[in-house]
Amino acid sequence: MKTLFLKDMRYRRARVVLTALGITVLISLILLLGGIMNGMRIQARQYVESTGADVWISAEGSGGAFIGFSMVVEEYMAFLNSGPGLAPDSASPLVFAQARPTVRGKSSKAIVVGYKLGQLGGPKQAVEGRMFTRSNFEDYRPEDPVPYEVVVDEKMGLEIGEQITLSNEKVRVVGKAKSLMFVLDTPLLFMDVRIAQKLLLGNTPHVNMMIAKTAANEQPLQIAAGLDALETIEARTLKQTLTDIIAYYVDEPMKAVQFLRVMLWLAAGILIGMITYVTMLEKTQEIGVLKAIGGSNGYVMGLLLKQVVLISAVGVVLGLILSYVFAAAAPIFVAINFVESIIVVCISFVVCCGSGYLAARKAIAVDPMIAFRGEI
Amino acid sequence: MTAVVEGTGLTKRFGTGDATVVAVDSVDIRIETGELVMIMGDSGCGKTTLISLLGCILTPDAGELRIDGERIDPVNEDLSVIRHEKIGFVFQLFHLLPYLTAVENVMVAMDIASTKTNVAEKRATELLTQVGLSERVHHRPAQLSGGEKQRVSFARALANRPKIIFADEPTANLDSRQSDNLMNLIQELRREYQTTIAIVTHHEGLKENADRIIQMKDGRIVTT
Repeated sequence: MKTLFLKDMRYRRARVVLTALGITVLISLILLLGGIMNGMRIQARQYVESTGADVWISAEGSGGAFIGFSMVVEEYMAFLNSGPGLAPDSASPLVFAQARPTVRGKSSKAIVVGYKLGQLGGPKQAVEGRMFTRSNFEDYRPEDPVPYEVVVDEKMGLEIGEQITLSNEKVRVVGKAKSLMFVLDTPLLFMDVRIAQKLLLGNTPHVNMMIAKTAANEQPLQIAAGLDALETIEARTLKQTLTDIIAYYVDEPMKAVQFLRVMLWLAAGILIGMITYVTMLEKTQEIGVLKAIGGSNGYVMGLLLKQVVLISAVGVVLGLILSYVFAAAAPIFVAINFVESIIVVCISFVVCCGSGYLAARKAIAVDPMIAFRGEI
Repeated sequence: MTAVVEGTGLTKRFGTGDATVVAVDSVDIRIETGELVMIMGDSGCGKTTLISLLGCILTPDAGELRIDGERIDPVNEDLSVIRHEKIGFVFQLFHLLPYLTAVENVMVAMDIASTKTNVAEKRATELLTQVGLSERVHHRPAQLSGGEKQRVSFARALANRPKIIFADEPTANLDSRQSDNLMNLIQELRREYQTTIAIVTHHEGLKENADRIIQMKDGRIVTT
């Protein structure tokens, strides 16, 4: 009777549905957490890759690009712009700093990107309005009369001509840039590097990094290694910078989430193991009768495992579907990787089946003598 | 006559040390083909333990058991195969699976013996008709009376054409009318299928149906 286990499941449908739902929720949470981290990695990458830079340079001991601050002096600029292996005049200063601008009276989060207009580091033109006024960066003057202008992310919902407050200063929105959110949907505010220094770095000639392109036919890895060998400079390739930024902005702060994912996996396994075991305890009389009338351990185990496999399969597949539904409705960017989610689903399925198997193995140890006592 | 079941020096102890209870003590027993035997005695005298030993549910601590002429080796043999090939069980509390209909409950025994579903369904329906439940084939245990449940239980026990059926207090949960009907049915089935039946019972009124009474006391057979 191939449907014996199905009939049993239908009889205990409330418990079956609850177990499958429990697994569904846990699996979708595991996938969503992975999707959030994946989304953060994608967002961390997309700005860095959009700059078009090949080499990322910071002062030795500053902590690295995107993390610490480097003093930019004219000698650096001159050296880099004529430096070995770098494209002539491609070196560009870049400020990349977290900020809390006040937008329409409300404090919000943003990343200020200060760069030299027309050079690496930000958009060359706005999708709406115009770009900000350019300063003469090389001619550093604390009283530089450049206007406070910003190009905002098109998804921020700001209008051209509106003002936002940044470090107690009014900054006028002059244009909108193609949306390029950073980690956790943090919008980017593009402005002149001198304005960024004035507003966020106490008007000192610091930047977070210098970025540059390598000359044609030059290998970024070799050029970066050559620059890195100089005592005063740290230089990284795009790939190395991506590794650093993902570690700094995603992997390090999300360690707790990773831990939580493992815990959820364990919870899914324990859940099905526990429910299977409790169900088995409820069925000991039944298992005893099946054994008494000639059912082997293998036969009884087969019945129990079919149920465990079916509940686990339904739970993880529904979890997979639900995670995509939640991801679409989430208020932040969630990027569930399909291949990764299939791997997660497979591992979760094995964890659930494994714990169910352990519970079933314990249950089939029932003495068939039990059939002579008690009621089913 | 040939013996369907033959036990020699069967002994079963439970517990250890001072708490050891000898439930069955050096019992010699022989049940012949086609016999209807009743095993009687006070509560705790070892009746159920004895049929558990004879039905290969328990393994004896000492003694030898032969079923259908073959010596049973409980260490090296899969006793579940012997149980579904040669033995049928009827329990005091029926023990039908609550999620299955009457016909499916009978089919389970054949499913265990790897009988094809269509063959099993046909035989199960025939057996239920035989026990007078042709109208109740698709009813669940909760929809059946005690007597009907016990009839399904007998049909399940007969499903794999066993050499012997062991019934543990089959009338204990039935009223006197249902008990009489069941005993008539047992006699009928015995004639029809030439099955050997051993019934454990307290019920003195059933004695008249038996070919032989085995009386037990303190784990031993006192009269046979």
